[in-house]
Amino acid sequence: MSELVVRAEGLSKRFTVAHREAGLGAAVRALFRRQTTTVEAVRGLSLSIARGERVGFLGPNGAGKTTTLKMFAGLLLPSAGSVRVGGWTPHQREREFLRSISLVVGQKRQLSWDLPAVDTFELNRVIFEIEGRIFKQRLERLVSLLAAGSIIEKPVRQLSLGERMKCELIAALLHGPQVLFLDEPTIGMDVAMQAAIRGFIRTYNEEEGATVLLTSHYMEDVAALCPRIVVIDEGRLRFDGSIEALTREISPLRRISVSAARIPAAAALAALGRVVEWSPSRVTLDVAPEAVAAVVPALLAWPESRELSVKDAPLEEVMRALFSRAKTDEEEAG
Amino acid sequence: MRRWLAASAALWRLGIAEAVAYRTSMLVWILTTTFPLVSLALWSEIARSGGPIGAYGAPEFVAYFVGAFLVRQLTASWVVWDLERQIRLGDLNVLLMRPIHPLLHHLMQNLAALPVRLVLAAPLAIAVLIAAGGATWTQDAGALVVLPLALIGGWLLNFAVQASIACLAFWVTRSSAVYEIWAGLFMVLSGYVLPTSLLPGEVATIARALPFHAALGFPTELAVGRLTSVEAATGLAIQWGWAAAAWLGLVWAWRRGVRVYGAYGA
Repeated sequence: MSELVVRAEGLSKRFTVAHREAGLGAAVRALFRRQTTTVEAVRGLSLSIARGERVGFLGPNGAGKTTTLKMFAGLLLPSAGSVRVGGWTPHQREREFLRSISLVVGQKRQLSWDLPAVDTFELNRVIFEIEGRIFKQRLERLVSLLAAGSIIEKPVRQLSLGERMKCELIAALLHGPQVLFLDEPTIGMDVAMQAAIRGFIRTYNEEEGATVLLTSHYMEDVAALCPRIVVIDEGRLRFDGSIEALTREISPLRRISVSAARIPAAAALAALGRVVEWSPSRVTLDVAPEAVAAVVPALLAWPESRELSVKDAPLEEVMRALFSRAKTDEEEAG
Repeated sequence: MRRWLAASAALWRLGIAEAVAYRTSMLVWILTTTFPLVSLALWSEIARSGGPIGAYGAPEFVAYFVGAFLVRQLTASWVVWDLERQIRLGDLNVLLMRPIHPLLHHLMQNLAALPVRLVLAAPLAIAVLIAAGGATWTQDAGALVVLPLALIGGWLLNFAVQASIACLAFWVTRSSAVYEIWAGLFMVLSGYVLPTSLLPGEVATIARALPFHAALGFPTELAVGRLTSVEAATGLAIQWGWAAAAWLGLVWAWRRGVRVYGAYGA
């Protein structure tokens, strides 16, 4: 097996959160008697990631994805368990550790708001001790990959969200980090910009051999980028493996779509599979994997049959099924 | 050491660029710190009409309050607002991900603004001096040697007190509210409203031993030549003692605070 870059054992993080009811009376009472709750954001997470892997962290809001990433990056001290990243204990924030990683958070910025991004790049050159020649080469390469030549000299406040994220990525990668933590890097971007950022991250991973950990609400990001996904829900590890393996486990049916001159009535199709969508000219069926070989010829035999496709269920559906199944399991256990 | 100096210089350059970009807001900020010039008008008029108060006649009040205005420009800090906000909103994450200490970032940001602030404040001070009849500056060689140390000490003290209070944000929601208490005491006890030597009896003695006077009144009195050599040496010792205590407090609060930092925000 390749060298392990991230190794977490029984990692947990608890937060104490203050809460009170609405209204002035509750606010006054809270002054004298503060009510708090302990929230277990991450519970006993064990995980290993090898050098050069691209791993997607998936889970609903509040699942513990970002908290996990922040513990890996050294921003949060774990409440229990241990984590090593590149041989370092992240929370000790050793200089060499910080020079070997980078954290990009879609909703936070490291660029100085009223100055051009090149000023922050120059600052990073000095504080990350990047040799002048290497800095110049990397900057040219990153600017070229992201087509960012025209924007790095404009004040950051005048950039669009997508342009700003391009500059954030350049700033985060100038020191050539070997571990890249990306928290919602494409949030709020249009489809074209999301695709551009995804392409860039893949290229960086392949060219530099860097390990990439990504959280995203956009399933396309994860599906396109990450051969391996880690699903976290309520702070617990729910799944660790490939998207295909998750799909087979949670939603093993294959999704077959076909267009034809006249689609038989939905009731008549029950023998082939479960009808997902039906119109007089196109139908989508969920079919058991072992029945695909028989169903496909039957569909192709329809008059003017065309545009037949066989796919796995969309990742969004798989995730919904996974989380609802986990909830049901817990309710039954409870 | 070389690495540290290079990082400091880079942060200083970025700070200068930001200070220039924010020059208008900085000018407005300077205008909000002109309270000593208001005190100047008030006290010098009282001295003119009713005779000297203590050792201060009208010209001495002019010298003192113009000095206080300039010392304030050179020793002020605003790290309490920036650092508190960063801790509360999770913006400290960015600084924690850099291989330099986040406080070095704030030190250099604050230091970088000093030249810009002085350039903006000097014309105002000169205009007041011309209008009010000139100023007196110390001619004593010893005092001139001690003065830079007193200005550095005042700045270090202000910075460390503010940063320590900002670190309370690791545990409480709005630590800047605590700073308002400090700022209130500073107004009365630092020599900002009137020279501390004019406070009544024992109050003056106590005030002159406190960090508020060490931060402003002491360097101002030194600058305008109101201290003997012994008083200057004693004042410097007191000031650097307070600065050292404030820095120890800052290091203590920072080390514990980072361990409980919530890194809030996405």
